[in-house]
Amino acid sequence: MVNEERLRHMIKLSQFDENEGKECKPMTQYARKDYVSLQALISFVTGTISYVLLFGLWALYSMEGLFEKINQMEIREAVMSLVLSYLVFMVIYLGATYIIFNVKYTDGRRKVKKYYASLKKVNQMYEREERLKTTNNTEWE
Amino acid sequence: MTTILELKEKMIRFYGKNEVYLVPIMRFLLAFVIFLMINLNIGYMERISSIPIALILALLCSVFPIRLTMLVATLVILLDMYALSLEVCLVALILFMLIYLIYFRFAPKHGYDVVLTVVCCRLHIPYIMPLGMGLLREAYSVFAMICGTILYFFLDGVKNNAKVLSGVADVEGEATSMFTVALNQLLGNKEMYLVTGVLAITLIIVYVIRRMSIENAWRVAIISGTLFESIGLIAGYMLLGISGKLLGVLIGSVVSAAIALVIQFLFFNLDYSRTERLQFEDDEYYYYVKAVPKAFISGTDKKVKRFSGKDENSERLTKRQFAREMDIDEDLLD
Repeated sequence: MVNEERLRHMIKLSQFDENEGKECKPMTQYARKDYVSLQALISFVTGTISYVLLFGLWALYSMEGLFEKINQMEIREAVMSLVLSYLVFMVIYLGATYIIFNVKYTDGRRKVKKYYASLKKVNQMYEREERLKTTNNTEWE
Repeated sequence: MTTILELKEKMIRFYGKNEVYLVPIMRFLLAFVIFLMINLNIGYMERISSIPIALILALLCSVFPIRLTMLVATLVILLDMYALSLEVCLVALILFMLIYLIYFRFAPKHGYDVVLTVVCCRLHIPYIMPLGMGLLREAYSVFAMICGTILYFFLDGVKNNAKVLSGVADVEGEATSMFTVALNQLLGNKEMYLVTGVLAITLIIVYVIRRMSIENAWRVAIISGTLFESIGLIAGYMLLGISGKLLGVLIGSVVSAAIALVIQFLFFNLDYSRTERLQFEDDEYYYYVKAVPKAFISGTDKKVKRFSGKDENSERLTKRQFAREMDIDEDLLD
């Protein structure tokens, strides 16, 4: 016989698995610190690529001016301003990463908590069914 | 009001039942509109800029997730840019890489938002985007909107300067100036900075107000968002000395506010959960479940009958009390 009450919970669980489950998985595996650090690491790579692309765009844009000025330019100053702008960009980029993924972690954790509550419920129902089956099997059937 | 509510109810029920067909149809229409817009505005490569090709591409996109539409549209745009000139294509490629880096990093699920922002910009009602997204999405979807706005202004700039962009090389024979002209659409476009900034701030404002625990939070959010947007844009245009935009901003804002109110009516307190097909098993059975969301009656439609003579306080049953009484988790009652 199908236990409809349990089935209802199982549907909820399965729905979660199908939809948000994949996204929430890292939230169950990592502590907040580790999760955010991991994302920051990925962001470091993508941020650096973005900066290089942005720099490329800027260099293309001001190519003519650059050629004219390149002889008079102080190399050290140019490098310094380059490094400085990179640092500013990365601080903003990583800051955004930090905030966004903290929020995502909080949300995901909340959803996962609900999921586990349902899971616990299903487990209890299972145990109850098992008990009933083993104790008075004949009467129950 | 009741008839409208009933209509809403019917629409929800209809959507719930026919979701399997409706979603691909909507995706097809959106993709078709996008490809048509690309063809009409920047269709420089004639071989791919015909209606039959747009139809085929849109059909293809209708059965796949929105990300494919984005990808195909990107490719079509790049090909069109290539037909115009190699330099523009290169700039567009870098721009797209940047957009994808930002979009996939922070808002990977908001493909619709990027695409819709571009479409709405083209239709001269970009003002709806921050309102709608602030109401329905998370705050970080602002990245998707920024990507969409920048993309639109770049493409619009290319369209307006198409003659120059395709002719510069012949006149001056220099590739660098071509880059400068192409990038000027991006880096030197003050209107772009203004619109992007104002829209982004509006989205945050709408989002914050919508989540406040005040009465009519959604409506207040829409009104303040619209006001900020229109005043900010008008002031900004004045500062930049761009004239002739006043009427467009005003009309666009009013139209956007109206659409936002419709959005509020359709989506407030309502989750258009989808029909789902699930498979799972336990020790005894395999379950193949089709879960169809129940359309429920909205709050104003409920009639509460009170019987006199009973103490209101002792009679009221909160969810928490009920949960405690039943000895179950409160969330299970949701």
